[in-house]
Parts: sequence; C-alpha cells; structure tokens
Amino acid sequence: MIVDANANLGNWPFRRTSYNDPKRLLERLARVDIDRAWVVSLDAVMYKNVHAANAPLAEMAAEYPALMPVATINPTFPAWERDLVECKESLGYRGVRAYPNYHQYELGDPAFDDFLAVADDLDMFVEIAVRMTDERHHHPLCMVPPVELAALPDLAAKYPRLPIMLINAKNTDLVPLIEPTEGMENLWFEMSHIEGTGGVEQLGRSLGLEHILFGTHAPYYYPESAILKVTRECEFSEEEQEAILYGNAGRLLASAGP
Amino acid sequence: MVIDCHTHIQGYKGSPDDPPSLKLRRTGRTGYLLEFADRLGIDKICLSLGTSRDYYPTPEVIAESNDMVWAEAERYPDRIIGFCYLNPRYLQESLAEMDRCIANGPFRGIKLWVAIHVDHPNLDPIADKAAELGVPILQHTWIKIAGNLPDESEPRHVAAIAERHPQTTFIMAHSGGNWERGYKTIIEHQNVYGELAGGDPEMGQAEMAVRLLGADRLVWGSDAPGRSFASQLSKVTGADLTEDEKAAILGGNMERILGL
Repeated sequence: MIVDANANLGNWPFRRTSYNDPKRLLERLARVDIDRAWVVSLDAVMYKNVHAANAPLAEMAAEYPALMPVATINPTFPAWERDLVECKESLGYRGVRAYPNYHQYELGDPAFDDFLAVADDLDMFVEIAVRMTDERHHHPLCMVPPVELAALPDLAAKYPRLPIMLINAKNTDLVPLIEPTEGMENLWFEMSHIEGTGGVEQLGRSLGLEHILFGTHAPYYYPESAILKVTRECEFSEEEQEAILYGNAGRLLASAGP
Repeated sequence: MVIDCHTHIQGYKGSPDDPPSLKLRRTGRTGYLLEFADRLGIDKICLSLGTSRDYYPTPEVIAESNDMVWAEAERYPDRIIGFCYLNPRYLQESLAEMDRCIANGPFRGIKLWVAIHVDHPNLDPIADKAAELGVPILQHTWIKIAGNLPDESEPRHVAAIAERHPQTTFIMAHSGGNWERGYKTIIEHQNVYGELAGGDPEMGQAEMAVRLLGADRLVWGSDAPGRSFASQLSKVTGADLTEDEKAAILGGNMERILGL
C-alpha cells in the first residue's frame, strides 16, 4: 500500500501537464505502485473564487475510490466560511488546502487564524502549500514567493487537535522548524520537495519520521522521484518505510474527524 | 552503465556546533556520496569543485579545488572522473591548469561555474584547447526570473560560444533551469548537449529534450550532494522514453563524450 498525500488534477496555467485527469493520474501512479492519492485542483489556485473548483473536484473524485479530494479555500475571500462548511457538510471533504502566497496573506493574519478555527470546529485537516513551482522559473507576471512559516509553531500550538500539513516545503523551509515544532503531534510534513543525497532520511529523522508523509506532487513532478527517495536512496527500516508510505497518512486522517 | 556527469565535493565542511540532527554523514570526502550512488545503481560520477563556493576563485583556490578532486579520483579510480574547474578570468593560469590536470593528469572534462559568461573572448583559447584535448566543457547555466548573478551564464551564452567553436563539445549544465527556454535555445547547435542536473523533477523535461535535440544530445547528471540522486534520476527513469533512449541519456552519451 502506498498513499500519495500530494497529487494534483486539472490544469496549471503555466505549463501543459499530462496525466491530469483521474483515470490517467491513477494509471500513472500505479506504474510505481501507488494505490491511493489525495488530490487538489490545480485550476483552483489561480481562480478568484477558488470555491468554484470544489464541487467539480468532489464530483470527479467520487467516481474513483482511490482518490481523496482536498478542497481549496481562500480565507480572505467573501463567504469563505460558508464555502468551507459546504465543503465538509455537503461535498464530503475531509481536508482543505490554503495557498497563502498565491492568495496574498500571511500565516500571521487574523483571517488565517479564523480559517484554522473553523477547520478545527469542522474536524477537518488543513494543508498549507508552501509553493507550487520553483520560484526561479515563475512567469514574469506571476512571481510568487514561498510562504513564510515563522508563525506556524504558535498556530499549531493554538490548535493542538487540528492536523496541519505542510506541502511542497523544501529543506530551507523545514530546517528552521525542527526545534520550534519539536513534540507537536498535529504537524505533518510532506516530503516531495526535500532534497539532497539522503535528505529525506536526514531531515525526516530531525523532524520525526512519524510525521513525514509520502507525496509526489504528480503529475507536475515525476512520481518516481518520491518513490526512489524513500525506497532506494534512504536507509529506512521496513517499519519506517511503511509509516512514511502509508501509515502516517492513516494516522493523520484518524486524528482528523470522520 | 550509468554515469552522473555532474557532482560536487560537499561545499559545507560541517561545524562542531551543528546539532546532531544536521551532522553530515561522512566516510571520506566523497565516500558517502558513492554510498548513495550505489543504492541508486550509479556506476561513475564526474566530480568537480572543491569546498570553496567563491564565485570568483583565485588561481590558488582553483588549484586547491582541483587537487581535492584529483585526490578523490585517485582514491576511487573506477568510480570518479575528475572535471577540471577553471576561472577563465585568469586565462593563462586556466590554460596552465588544463595542462596540469588534463594533458598531464587524470581529468577528463572542464567545469565552469559563475565567474564569467561563457561567451567571453577569454573562453576562445580555452574552447580550442578543450577540443585539442578531446574533453567537454560542462558550463553551469540558469535563467532566473528575478535575475542571475552578474556573470552567471544562460543558455544563449553557451549557444554563442558553441557557434564559434563547432569542434568543442559543450554540456549545458542544468539546461538553463528554465529548461523549456534552454532546450529551444540550443536546437541548432549540434555540439551542445542538454543536461538534466539540478532542477526539480518536473515531468516532461527529458521528453521535450529528446523531441527537440534527440536522445543522443542529452546527458544525465544530478548535482549531488546538493540534490538527491533519486529526484534527479527520476527525470529519466520516469520519462516516457524508450529503454534505448534512457540508456543513452543515463550513460551511453557520456561514455562516447568521454571516450570511455
């Protein structure tokens, strides 16, 4: 069993992507023995009203039990709270993703605090996408810096029941978090962007392997990257590997609501 | 055979003050790198640069860097192929270093980083000498949307020097980072190879290169240890290419370039 906690469906405005519908994505992931995937809508990132992507994604994923859709919410947009309630209660979403950089707010903004409070009340888990693509190659009309994470430890401490997951975080984003997040059970780190020879093992052990989630960022990235990192490059015990490949994802879901 | 055309000696030496969680694994300067290479089935690595990351190294630093690589190549002669690092701002010293390391030493290629744009006139005698010695020039390239370092080369600089030196083999390291632009820049320059090291494992990169350049004009590298061998290898193993194309990119082309 392998669960990909970071996969994408739909279109990215700056590059034509392949394998971006449910059937082809699952077939592509199956080539490297990935059985299940948590998916977001790439289209949603640049929509003004991001909620417009949530119903179509839920509908698309409903036909594929191997996919678990994750909603997108912009807590600076009017009526976001209503949208988030609808995601949970009508559309069946268990998790919701935020893009603070693309939607131009900071983790320390009151709007994000409100967002976490509502997600907590709804027993959802929250994903924070630190980036979507390499900042050095952004479109000149859309240069988006990575999310500044300094406020994260205090927020995670304020909502200890709320699972918060960092997506697409690089080594330079994660290293400063090692010490201030030590012992925090509700923080989870997806590994697709951890780099360096043996980087997932080195950084994973520092952050706590029990909080590392397997993720590919497919189909923007080749899913082979994450697979090779975990199964070939790093020296994990069988138990550690199983935890990263699916066990931790199961525990995260169990720690959120039904 | 799998040949990584682009690896480095770890630039960070470590500090006694590092927390235990950040201490680097070390079994010799590059021994640890070869441990990881073994896990991924990588047979040989081309190694360059010492521990200095000075953008404008002096001839003394250059010589010291090459000595470090030389020592590693002697320690692991079947695994490590030395590439001679140069700062072409020091032209006479660069030519002399090519004599020392390549003509009279074990190095099989040249590595250029960010000291000078590769189409600068100082590169002309170096390119000529590289062709005489039969070694490739591996030139770092990037196109950064927020601006490059002052003397950091882009693919267009490689295209310009390659035009002047059709007998010299150039490897466009990183393919400019922004690889869609990079590959299109060198389509017509048959003596320039695309190279896969260093960027994120973005799907479609190798496929586009093969479509535009052909599988015989693309080589694989990792930029380890800064990069994961795994993420970089996935750009070929995960690509929608034939097994023959993958074999050429992963090692066959470098075998030919290096005359192995």
